[in-house]
Amino acid sequence: MVMRDAVAEGLRRLLIPLACRAPVRVFALAGVNSPTNIDDLRLRDDICLVDSPRSANVLWVAGLLPAPLQDSARRVHAMMSHPRATVWSRPSVMTAEHATLFPHATIVGPSEDLFEALRTVQRALLTKRHASDEALLPDEEPAPWRGVGPYGQGGTGMTGGVPYGRPMAERAPDRDGLELDQLPMRIGPFFPPFPSGLILDVRLQGDVVQEVTIAESLFAQGNVLSSGESQGDLLRDPFRRALTEPVPVGELELARARHHLRWLAHALRVHGLEALGRRVLMFVPALEPGKAGDILALRRLLDRIRTFDWSTAGVGILERQQLSGRGLGPVARAAGLSDDSRLVDPAYDKLGFEPLVHNDGDCRARWRQRLGEVIQSLALARAGAQPAGGAGSVESPRGVLRPETGPTPALLTLLPGLVRGMEWGDAVTTIVSLDLDVREARAASPVETPTSGKPAVERDE
Amino acid sequence: MLAALGAALIVFVAGLSAWLAVRRVGDVLNRPETTGPQRIPFSGGDPPAVHAWNRFHARYYAMALLFLAFDMEMVFMYPWAVVFVREGMIAFVEMLMFIVILMLGILYAWREGALEWS
Repeated sequence: MVMRDAVAEGLRRLLIPLACRAPVRVFALAGVNSPTNIDDLRLRDDICLVDSPRSANVLWVAGLLPAPLQDSARRVHAMMSHPRATVWSRPSVMTAEHATLFPHATIVGPSEDLFEALRTVQRALLTKRHASDEALLPDEEPAPWRGVGPYGQGGTGMTGGVPYGRPMAERAPDRDGLELDQLPMRIGPFFPPFPSGLILDVRLQGDVVQEVTIAESLFAQGNVLSSGESQGDLLRDPFRRALTEPVPVGELELARARHHLRWLAHALRVHGLEALGRRVLMFVPALEPGKAGDILALRRLLDRIRTFDWSTAGVGILERQQLSGRGLGPVARAAGLSDDSRLVDPAYDKLGFEPLVHNDGDCRARWRQRLGEVIQSLALARAGAQPAGGAGSVESPRGVLRPETGPTPALLTLLPGLVRGMEWGDAVTTIVSLDLDVREARAASPVETPTSGKPAVERDE
Repeated sequence: MLAALGAALIVFVAGLSAWLAVRRVGDVLNRPETTGPQRIPFSGGDPPAVHAWNRFHARYYAMALLFLAFDMEMVFMYPWAVVFVREGMIAFVEMLMFIVILMLGILYAWREGALEWS
């Protein structure tokens, strides 16, 4: 035993300096009112954002987590293996409920350096100056063995029992006319490809989505943006400000272009094009009206990537009738509609604004639409310093935004019918292509904003 | 003879020792004990309600069988290639008949939709 401990200590001394120099493996929980955007971490060489808490040493909690997400956040923390630590970027003002959520967390204030804090915590964790986080949940078997027989089959055939305390999947007809199992799964709220807070109850047969329902807890909190926790988010977002006060067109359009580029980087990452997604993100901090040439080069590059083209063409087609007059922004314009509330804004009228549209209505048309809008926004930003908005609704990058709601609730009503019958990979592609923001989601009726105008059509191939 | 056996023995013992050493180092470094919550599969934060054992249609099955048929055909072509030079046209016609029979099989599978994924 003494020998074993000595060997272990020797190996640790040898390996810990190397491990300290490795990128910090971070799993991010995105909340509201975070001083740092998750995308900022993706641009760092010394930080590696991972897709599962099991691969992470550090759990980074970005901002405040609404009450319905806190239990899931504790479970994610409990899934991490030792040594583990929590770093929490949070505002100084918070409720007592939030203060006790992660008692071991290293708190990083809005003015402190998050990246240095992550590196310091990793070094301290590996050199044992920082104790590994204690469990927030009891060490209980999630589903204890309750089956009978060597395979827990309950003694009545392969599917008769409750092995590990969980019932077996129920059978239902599949697309090949066979009677096979339907596996219900809950995806979210911290599933990395989806927006934080989106919880889907999915029934899968193999990898075919048979049914999707959006979990009720998504709506339980109502609109978290109106809860007072997210005043910082409101102040930083020019589209939120434009609801009540005029904001220069240039600022709005640059923010729109940045938003679409962030979305594109995420979509590329979900399609396995991680390095390209990072290149797209690198455009964001220094984006200015004169960079339109770089974005055109990016579009040519994306057009040449056949795998991205194949995996998005013909996937997740939305018809014009489903989208018309609901203020669904680029999703509607990608299906050939010219719905755009900028058409009724005098500031945009002076600039001769005409909405850009595509015709296919599929995932490929959506990414082309957004990239086209980036180029259009840079041109508008170059030309427009006059104030726009302030009229109670504004054309945000996702669609028509109003004080109480945005386009996400209307998109969520389309989602179950859209992904039914798809293979899981196509379903993920489709959900990502809708660019949902769960903070807008509440049990509200979809936004009705009939607008029309002469569209400038980009041809789909 | 004995030298060769000795060399083989040394290689075997060295390999066995390396394997045991790697396992030992792994045991020392690794902490295999996990808690209940750590064993929950990750799908976004919520635990699964239903056991993951489930039966689904292996749609690649027909394609896999077709692949095996043509894979075996290639295996038969190796000895055929050896005798082809000696036997000439007879061997060529025999192989042609064999390939035609297999080709009928793939045409049948094609007609039945076995090559369509969805």
